[in-house]
Amino acid sequence: MRNSSQTKSILLCFAMMLACAYSVLAWSALAQDRVPIVTTTTDLRSLVEAVGGDRVEVISLVPAAMDAEEYQPKPQDLLRLKNARLLVRVGLDYDLWLDRLLAQADNPDLGRDGAGYVDASFGISVLEVRGLSVGPGHAHGLGNPHYWLDPKNAEIITSTILEALARRDPANVSIYEANRLAFLARLETKLSEWETKLAPLKARPLVAYHNSWPYFARRFRLDFVGFLETKPGVPPSPSHLAAILQTMRARAVRIIVREPSQPERDVAFLAGKAGASVVTLAASVGALPRTDDFISLFERNAEALSAAASAQ
Amino acid sequence: MSQAIAFLWPAFLVSVCLVGIHAYFGIQVLARKVIFVDLALAQIAALGATVAFMLGHPAQSPATYAYSLAFTLLASVLLAFTRLWATRVPQEALIGVIYVVAAAVSILLIDRAPQGAEHLKQILTGNILFAGIGELHAIAPLYAAIGLLHFLLRRRLTGAGSLVWEFFFFATFGVVVTSSVAIAGVLLVFSFLIVPAAIGAIFARSFATQLAIGWAVGTLSSAVGLAASFAFDLPTGAAMVCTFGGALGLSGVLYAVLHSSRRTAWRMAIAAARWSMTAILAGSALQLVVAPRTDQPVLDAAEYIFPSLRTIYLTRGEQSALADASEHAERYRTEAERLNDMEGRSRSEGEALDDFTVARISSLLRSYGEMRNGEQFVMTEVRGRARQRVRWTVSFALLALALLVSPGPWRRMWAQARVLRLKGRPE
Repeated sequence: MRNSSQTKSILLCFAMMLACAYSVLAWSALAQDRVPIVTTTTDLRSLVEAVGGDRVEVISLVPAAMDAEEYQPKPQDLLRLKNARLLVRVGLDYDLWLDRLLAQADNPDLGRDGAGYVDASFGISVLEVRGLSVGPGHAHGLGNPHYWLDPKNAEIITSTILEALARRDPANVSIYEANRLAFLARLETKLSEWETKLAPLKARPLVAYHNSWPYFARRFRLDFVGFLETKPGVPPSPSHLAAILQTMRARAVRIIVREPSQPERDVAFLAGKAGASVVTLAASVGALPRTDDFISLFERNAEALSAAASAQ
Repeated sequence: MSQAIAFLWPAFLVSVCLVGIHAYFGIQVLARKVIFVDLALAQIAALGATVAFMLGHPAQSPATYAYSLAFTLLASVLLAFTRLWATRVPQEALIGVIYVVAAAVSILLIDRAPQGAEHLKQILTGNILFAGIGELHAIAPLYAAIGLLHFLLRRRLTGAGSLVWEFFFFATFGVVVTSSVAIAGVLLVFSFLIVPAAIGAIFARSFATQLAIGWAVGTLSSAVGLAASFAFDLPTGAAMVCTFGGALGLSGVLYAVLHSSRRTAWRMAIAAARWSMTAILAGSALQLVVAPRTDQPVLDAAEYIFPSLRTIYLTRGEQSALADASEHAERYRTEAERLNDMEGRSRSEGEALDDFTVARISSLLRSYGEMRNGEQFVMTEVRGRARQRVRWTVSFALLALALLVSPGPWRRMWAQARVLRLKGRPE
């Protein structure tokens, strides 16, 4: 009797251990099964996750809240690229540093003509294309690269991502398609919420530190009348500042938009002179608290803007 | 105009205040031969601010300032000791190492920070344009107090005293640099420190005269730099640094003219100018022969100043091709601008453009860009070919011009040859 109960408990232990081992194995198999994907920015990471769900393992090379245009790659990034099956980049000269990294990463699949290379700007209606000339505003010859800030552009970006995922992991296409449609449906409801929230700002001109917002402005019908920084990284001249101040007074601009990585003091100076308030908006997922994914990014920005508008 | 002056007035007052203290420290720093101590201290202060930031203090809080100050004081101890260690290695080398290590540690720290490298940039690059009267209230009493202390202790602070006084010197200097850099940025503070003091040292021996000259030159240069930044629409800090550099260059020339024999000075200056002209012309001639299709800065400049030069070396067909291409390129540019403008206004004004229209505008803009690239290619190609055709003649002319400009003995030889020829001629 005693013996049989001992045997039972030993068997039970054994069974539990087996179950544990199996679940660990199964989990690791699942983890291995996941498609390893590298994106350059957190915004693209969030969109790839929206399509890929738990079938993908996504890493963004640029950490949240770092300026992706001035990112300095690290040795680990080479390893990440080497092991990745898909690479999603912003393009439009926004993440130029990636090209040199790719040349070193020794993963021909991710090269420009490789099956794993995705330029997310594909099919986007690029705004402010100025050819060769470095016109006022953004110094990007290929057009303004902040296209993910129009939530509607997520449709195009996710379809590009979907197509690439279908190439890499054809077995699970239906899952990816379903994920994408569910995400877009959620975005659609949110979009109309944000549009209602931002409607009061239609008649209120804004000034921003840097010209990151043309796509955002177009979608929500906002009027950015000036920028502090005429070219990335070059501080404004006094005459430019005087002109902006004049515009702000003439058009009664009450809100200045700043991103967390932009100089606080300069914006506060202008706000003080013009009697405006400063609103800090996130131009990228993770740049501010409560902007952990693509949808919460707009949620928070819309909230901040409408709060600033109603405070006046 | 009046608005810009309203901006520039506080900036000018802050500059005067900064020149006041930094010209003094500059003379001390030049005498101690520790020129880059300013950069090292600024970097250490930034490191302190970074640490504070990592620990969760906001960028412009008293806690952050306290961290900066503590790091600066620690570094001052280190800097005071560098004089002792500097028997085999120059002190400046040790200061340089302190600078780069502090900068590197900041980068390593900031790499782990949520906010990234921008924070570091923000600490390091204050912009004098955004300095207000508030800043003046903060620094003027502080700098006056430090200046007074240094005046009272002037016999102790000669740089040869005990290490305690060296520490005092570096610590007070660190406090000044930390506050100044946060207001005006590293580049400008370095100029405030070195240029007025250097100009003072050029023209005077006594400390008081050096300081007076430094103050006068610093104030004047600040005013000129600020005015230039407004008049020519330039970033203020960079414009001021260039003005200070120009002032130093001008002082060097002025010194040469005043002090060595005036005629030799002029002769040397002219000879130097002629030699550089000769080098530029001859180099350009050589480049035209060897690589006629590359950029030719001298020819481009000449064409820019005298557009009629094109009629000399371009055939009529080439001229009209060039004019056509330039006209088309301009037309594409204005058309693209018009579309961009229309799209920009449609974001908030009137009826919103639908996605399809915006997509069309976007692709049109790309096409215009490509077409402009094409026209620009035609322009370079036409000129390149024409230059290739005339390269021997033009480079010969350039060489001749170079010989003519050079201060070499050619002209004398030419004159002698003429005299000889005249002599050889039968009467």
